[in-house]
Order: sequence, then structure tokens, then C-alpha cells
Amino acid sequence: MLEDLVVGMVGSGGDGVVSAGESLLAAVASQGFHALMTKSFGSQIRGGESSCRVRISGRKVLNPGGVLDVAVALNWEDFRRFGAELPLGPDTVVIHEAKAGPPPADLAPPGHGPRQVLAVPLGELAKSAAGTDRAKTTVVLGILSGWFGIPPEALDRALQKKFAQKGEGLLEANRKALAAGIAHARAHPLDAPRVLAPPPSSTPKLLCDGNEMCASAAIFAGCEFFGGYPITPSTEVMQILSRELPKYGGVVLQAEDEISGVGAAVGASFAGKKSMTATSGPGMSLKTEVLGLASIAELPLVLVDVQRGGPSTGLPTKPEQADLFQAAFSAHGDVLRPVLAPTGVEDTFRLTVEAFNLAERYQTPVVLLSDQEIAQRKETLEPIDVSRFEVLHRLVPTPEQLAEGYQRFAETPSGVSPLSHPGMPGGNYLAAGIEHDVRGAPTASGAVHASMNAKRFRKLGALQERADLFEREGPRDAPLGLVSWGSSAGVAREAFALARARGLPVQLLVPHLLYPVAEPVYREFFASARRGLVLELSHQGQLYRVLRMFVDVPPGVTSFARSGAQPFHADEVVERLQQQAEGLVR
Amino acid sequence: MNAFLAPNDYKSPLKPIWCPGCGDYGVVQALYRALSAIGRPPHEIAFISGIGCSSRIPGYTTAYGFNTVHGRALPIAQGVKLANPDLLVVVAGGDGDGFSIGGGHVPHAIRRNVDLTYLVMDNQVYGLTKGQLSPTSPRGLKTVTSPMGSLEQPINPLLTVLAYGAGFVAQATPADMPGMTALIEEALRYPGFSFVNIQSPCVTFGEEEQQLRAHKTRMKSLASLGHDPTNQLAALDLARAYGTELYTGVFYRNPDPPPTYEALVRQRQAELQRGEPRSRARVLDGLSSRGG
Amino acid sequence: MTPVTGIDFERLTLRDALDLAILIEEEARDRYREFSEQLAAHATPEVADFFTRMARIEDRHRSELLERRQTLFGDAPSTVERRQIFDVEAPGYEQARAFMGVREALETVLASEIKAHAFFDEALPRVKDPELKALFQELRAEEVHHQALVKSELARCPEKPDDGEAYADDPVAQ
Repeated sequence: MLEDLVVGMVGSGGDGVVSAGESLLAAVASQGFHALMTKSFGSQIRGGESSCRVRISGRKVLNPGGVLDVAVALNWEDFRRFGAELPLGPDTVVIHEAKAGPPPADLAPPGHGPRQVLAVPLGELAKSAAGTDRAKTTVVLGILSGWFGIPPEALDRALQKKFAQKGEGLLEANRKALAAGIAHARAHPLDAPRVLAPPPSSTPKLLCDGNEMCASAAIFAGCEFFGGYPITPSTEVMQILSRELPKYGGVVLQAEDEISGVGAAVGASFAGKKSMTATSGPGMSLKTEVLGLASIAELPLVLVDVQRGGPSTGLPTKPEQADLFQAAFSAHGDVLRPVLAPTGVEDTFRLTVEAFNLAERYQTPVVLLSDQEIAQRKETLEPIDVSRFEVLHRLVPTPEQLAEGYQRFAETPSGVSPLSHPGMPGGNYLAAGIEHDVRGAPTASGAVHASMNAKRFRKLGALQERADLFEREGPRDAPLGLVSWGSSAGVAREAFALARARGLPVQLLVPHLLYPVAEPVYREFFASARRGLVLELSHQGQLYRVLRMFVDVPPGVTSFARSGAQPFHADEVVERLQQQAEGLVR
Repeated sequence: MNAFLAPNDYKSPLKPIWCPGCGDYGVVQALYRALSAIGRPPHEIAFISGIGCSSRIPGYTTAYGFNTVHGRALPIAQGVKLANPDLLVVVAGGDGDGFSIGGGHVPHAIRRNVDLTYLVMDNQVYGLTKGQLSPTSPRGLKTVTSPMGSLEQPINPLLTVLAYGAGFVAQATPADMPGMTALIEEALRYPGFSFVNIQSPCVTFGEEEQQLRAHKTRMKSLASLGHDPTNQLAALDLARAYGTELYTGVFYRNPDPPPTYEALVRQRQAELQRGEPRSRARVLDGLSSRGG
Repeated sequence: MTPVTGIDFERLTLRDALDLAILIEEEARDRYREFSEQLAAHATPEVADFFTRMARIEDRHRSELLERRQTLFGDAPSTVERRQIFDVEAPGYEQARAFMGVREALETVLASEIKAHAFFDEALPRVKDPELKALFQELRAEEVHHQALVKSELARCPEKPDDGEAYADDPVAQ
């Protein structure tokens, strides 16, 4: 029985391959499996090559997986276009539309042949069972059910959900197609059984994607205003909030451009409301100046950057982790801005709430760095107990402070000064992008400027002690270290488990707080981890470089980084760790 | 209603950086008087500006002020108003801030019709940065960035704002203080997006014939021409004379102002919140994706 | 909507008229103070001092009128407001100029006195009440007197055009 099954499916946009993947995902989730689904497309709006990858397991699924266990190809031209995103291995079961012919020689690594290459007359089966060859992806679901043990009732329920609203007879026809697929699988069993082991619990799991989770968390955290602009792959955050936030008395503004969106959010924050914006790399570049304004005016703001391939327009539909430099350093002048990063859908909730808390507590913009994979992948979740999350609010002046002559930017030991807002009697002040004194009056004095910069940096000093924003696994004295963030951390977690199983002395560090660099945490980690890897998806290895700016990274700890759209696989990370470990012996 | 607030109750102790003779002194004085007439206490007023000499104006009032970045006052102000529709929101800036870098935001602020008042101090030059060309500079004007004369047709702020459908459009000059005060007051009272283009000359970099002394002889009130401000077409026609004539008064006032954006948002929120109040702690109950 | 001016001279009472006169002096005093501040901040100290003096003079006029008002009407609340008058005696903002000379400043003051004179002069035909008439005539005469004072100071002033601008530094971009 299989503990883990990675299915990849490819067709052209009209085939409904992704839709079939969603049905598969919903079916297994309802049976209590853990699962994760990613999608990948060509650049057409419709009808271009399209693929999905569904990973199913009785154990928690940490990442989309590497080599496919099952590959379904409706045609080979589209399959080829996805290249290394859907790698085939010696044990991959390849199911293809019979009419497409056998796989071209170049699609499998040289010297390896897939163990089973199965031509299935998908179109014909669909035509005879359902009356149209368009139902071929439903036949595929039946095949998967028959060969790999996906429970047919669950698939049936998923079909009901998909087709019930779409017209008479479609549901019936597709039920027949499903049955035809199952029958075909039973009539042509695989030469070695590959059935998924049932999950430990049959309680249905929740399904969610990163963008929806982010929007939900924002509502929970008390967000009352969202200003933004559509940009792939963050648009869903705005769409969900535009539907939901007004139900809680909030306002969503789709502004005329990125700058206006964040500007409106800053205005709402000035007016006393928790506010946010969401975008991707190009939008964040545009918002930079207004971010600087929020920093010097000491206004809370959450900016969600769902990273995609860059630079510039880059690869809008692919993940990359190359916005860290921008998130940490963009905006001229001495600006210190916290940057948080989730690693998957589930911790997107916690870290979005944390982003709001940091923003409110420290009166600063906070960047939440998600990425296209996390944002748009759907994964199963255990229920989240929201009562464990604290929700913080900005410090407002007391009646005494207002009566005594309120100073908006008063020097305080913590660096945080109480923040009033329009409507509050006695709290009137001038907020500005220009440097200012404790009252907010414009100044060009070097001494005042120095003390204001010191205040703005001092207030964030407490972040150095936030070890709770880091995950550590493994023995604290292990000489081999693995550091990773964002969606790559999912691969790192799996690699860590595999490496430990192999006996490698490795410890894992997953930072959720990327900036400012919490030096004490890294110093402690690198005190023992003298060799290892920093794993991330960017050409420059941006976290690696940022760490080297602030901490002494041991020379034995190297950057394992590459451009986006080529996610890591656990196996290759384990290989590298193995190589690093060899250096330890010496 | 609050106790009477005198104009000086709106005046902050901060000394303006403006050159003596600057038209903006008159503008802020008129604003103090207009605000006094309206009577909202300073803590209920949010005064948002961009960057430029005229954008310094919020700091010279006792209202909550936000001196933001160049060209972005309108979006930021809309965020303030949408976050708290009970505030009186005033926006100020110059012709460059509003129609050059800020130009992209103007149509949307107008069509969105959030209730705020936009005061543009139009002096056909970039004063704060020492006299460069501005989008309303007349063609042929020699400035430090157009030493041989500007090659561009100026933008016509009146025509632009009227054409985008603003519900209240007026022009004023500090050369007529009572008139300007009345117009600012009227604009503040108008329920929706309102715009006053104020010909406020730059005494240091502006042309001699654009100074306030010249205004006194050149200005013509629209009322004296018999203009009916509910006539949008006539307003557009008169607005075409921008640059040639200095017309003061109300070009257009929508006799039937449509609902503001925030009023519609409030309505919608009320509809959505009818019945059971929502608890944010239960937000995940509504997760749309579920297994099975 | 409140009219910005809208003083009904026919219905004006003596008390209102005194209050108006007080506001007129107040406005002038405040304007001279503002000019003084502006010019002090713009490296024109001699004229800044001059305007400070002018402000004090207007304040004295104001105090005298206030005393009269107190004697006649005590603390009875005023029904006129500052926003009903505009630059009656106060010089318009365009009258100030960085690096202006004393001669120019005196000319500004003279123009203000002439304006104030015109105000009372134009109001007189519309005023019915005899006490009020007397007051306005008195105030008008005062302005004539002030003008004479200013003119004599002007006569003592050097003729040469002020060249403060020529010596001043170039403007600074911000």
C-alpha cells in the first residue's frame, strides 16, 4: 500500500484537466486524506496547455512533491511544455490517451524507462459511455479510482458538485464516464498493485488556498479597510475581501492603480482603521514611495506581496522568492520594515494575524511575503483554533495625555508613541512624509532627524528577541544546518525528515520573520551548524545574502538557490546535504 | 452644535514657509473663515495634501493634517473618508501635484464621488523646487526647464474636471477674498466631490501679469456674465477660456447631486449585515472550500 | 448659507457699529502682525519692526474703541462676526514682499488707510441713525488724520528705490 501518491495531469485548457484535479482533491479530502494541489498553465487565458499536480497521503503533505508517481497525458505536445515541472522517473506510471501514441523518446531521462506506460482509449471510452469525448477527464478519474484506490463514492460526490448546476444530463453522463473508467481499470489491472493506504482518520479535511486563508485571517485580525489593484497572483485576496469585508462593516476599494490602492490604505490607517493592501512584485515596486511615507509617519499597514517570477513582468503565474530585497530594503532613506513569510496555507493564517499585530504594535508597514505556489495551491487543513491567536491594537493616547498637550511622536523608552486619529478630540496633529519633531512640525534639524531615526529603529528592536517567529527542528547541536523559507520550506521539511532517517546529523531552521534579521537566533544556530544549506528559489539566494549582511554565516553553509518556476524536490536537497555531510568527516 | 469657533481657532502656531505676497496666505485665511462658518471642530477635520508650497497648508491649520507624497493626496484622502465618513475631508495641492504626477488619480476621485473638497492652488509653476514648468504653464513660457519657451499646450484644469463629471467646479482668486471665502465654504458644503481651482500666484517665480494686482483688474465673475451654474454645457464652454480669461465663481453645481460613494457603501454594508451580526472569530466557518 | 460680507448698514445699531470698528482694527492689527512675522522670517528685519509698530498702533485704536463699547454697552454679546469683513483696513496679502523697503511699507499702510476711509465714506449715505452717523464720521476723519501722518513719514523717507532684492541670496529649492 502506498503512503504517498503524486499525480500529475496534463492537457490543453479545453480538456478540463485542472477541474478534474479539483474533483480529485475534493474527493480525497472528504475521505480524510491529506492532500495538496498545484496548477500550472501556459500563457493563454483559455485553451493553452494546462496541468495540475495532486499529492495525496495519509500523512501531512509538506510540498507538491518531486517525481510523479502517476502521470496522465492527454497529448504529448502539451506535456512537453511543462518540462521539469512534471518530472517522470523510473517508477512513474504513465497513462496516456491512446490516440496520442507512445511517449516521445526525449520525455524520459536517458537510461530510464517508465515501468508502466499505459495507453488508454480515453476519448473512445468517454464517447461510448457519456456520448461525448469531452468527458475523458472523468474517465481518467475512474481509472485513478480503479488503479490507485481513490474511493468512487467520494469521486461521485465531487462530480455532483461540479455538474449539478451545469445542465441536464451532464451529471448522469459523467457518472457513466466515471464508471467506464473504473471498469477499464479493473479489466486491465496494473502489473503490481499501487493502492493508496487509507488515512488514519476519515474525518473530512478543510480545503483552502493561501489567498483565501490570507483574506480570512485579515478579517479575523480586525482589518476594516483594503485598498488594492488586481495583479496575478494576489487578486483573489481582494476579490474575497470585496465579497466578505463589507459584511463585517469594512470597506474594500479597487483603486485605479497600485499607488492609489496603498495610498487609500494608508489614509484609512491614518483615520484609525486597521488596513491592508495586497499585490505582487511589480505592484510592490510602485508602492515603494508610499511605504516610505507610512514608515516615517509611523502608521500601521499590512502589505501582502504574493511573489511571482521577476524581474519586471517576469513570470506572472510562477512562484519565485526574489522579492526579499525589495520587501526589506525598498524605499529610500533609513527605513526598517518587518518582513514575515508563511510557508504554506495553514501558517498563512497565523502569520497574517501576526503581520497585523506587528503593524499595529509598532506603528509600521509590515510586508507579508507569500508566493504564487502558497497563494494558489489548495491544501487540506485540520481545523484552526482561532482562540489561540491574540489580536493587538495600536496604542492610543489616554485622556490625560490628550489633555496635557499631546505629542504624536513623543520620545518614549520603547520608541512607540501613542497614536491618535481624526475624530479624537485633543489628538490633532500633522502627519507628514517630511521629517518632523515630537509634535509633528516639519524640521530640517540634523539632531532631531537623528533622534527620530533612532526612535523609528529602536521601536523595532524587540523583534530581535522573537524566537517564536522561527521554527527549529532537530538536535540543537547538530553540525549540519538546513535553512529555508516560504514555499521552499515545505521541501526543506521533507528533506530534513529523509536526511534524519538516513542518519545525517542535521537541524532545521525555518524563519517566519525574515527582516530585521534576528541576530541572536542565527548566532545560536550557526554556533553548531557549521556546514549546511540555505534553500530558496531565487537566482541570487536573497535570504542567504541578507543573512551575510547581519550575521557571520559559516563558510561551510552555502546557498542552494535557483531561479523560480523550478521548485526544489526533497531528493535533491537530501543529496546536497549528504555532500555537505561528507565535508564534516574531515 | 458646538460652541462658536472663530477663524483663529483653525489657525495653528506654525509659521508658513511661503514668501511674503504669496497668494496662499489669502487661501488659508479664507479657509479659516469658511471653516468657522461651517463650525466643525478641528478634530473632526482631516486635511490631506501632497507636496509643494501649497501642500504645506494642512500644517497651518489646527485640523488633523497629513502632508503626504507628491501627487497622491486624492487616493490617500479617499481612504481617510471611507474609513470614517463622518470626518470633513479637505484636500489641497498645487497644479503640478494635482495635474502632473497626480493627474491619473483625478478622474477616479471624481467618478467615485467620495465627499471631499479638492482645493488646487494653481500658479502655473513649480514653486517649491524653484520655478520649473508646470502642466498649466502657458505655451511659450520661459522657465528654468523651458529656457527657450514651453513647447506644450497647458492642461485646462477646469475643463478636465468638468469633463470628468465633477458635481461642483469653481474658480477663485485671493484678489477677491470675500468671493473666494464664499466659494470655499460652498465647496465644503457640497455633498460629493467638489473642486475649486484657485489662481494663487507665485510671487517669486510667477509672471508679473499673473500677480494678484493684475487679477484685480482681470477677474470677471461668472455671475456678472449671467451664467447659470446648473448648465453643464455652458460651464464647459466658459471653462475653455482658462488661460485667457480669469473667471471667478461657480462654473457648475449639480442641482441633483448623486449619492456619494461612502453613502452607497454604508447602504450595502447595512444590507449585508441585516439579520445575524457577524463574528470575526468565526470567519473560518465560512471557508468556501470544503472536502466532500 | 452665511453671506461673507452682508452688513446691512440701514439696520446697523451703534453697538454693532462699534463692534465692527473693533473688528476692523483687529483685522488690521492681525494682518500687520502676520506681515511682521513673514518679513522677520524672510530676512527683512527693518520692515518687520515697522509692521510690529503698526500692529501696536492698530491695537491701541482697538483698545480705545473697546473701552467706549464697554462704557456704553458693557459685556452685551456681539452680533457681528469677523467673517463679515474682509481687508477693510487690513492690507491685502499681496502687499507684502520679501526684502521690501520702508518706503514700500509706508505706501502699503497709506493704501490701507485710504481703503478704510472709503469704507466709512461709502457706508455713511446708508446709515440712518444719527449716533451711528456721528461715529462713522469720526472714524472717517481719523483715517484722514492717519493718512496725513503716513504721508509726512513718507516725505521723510529716502526717495531711492529699495535694493534689498539685489543683495539677497537666490531662492532655495525645497
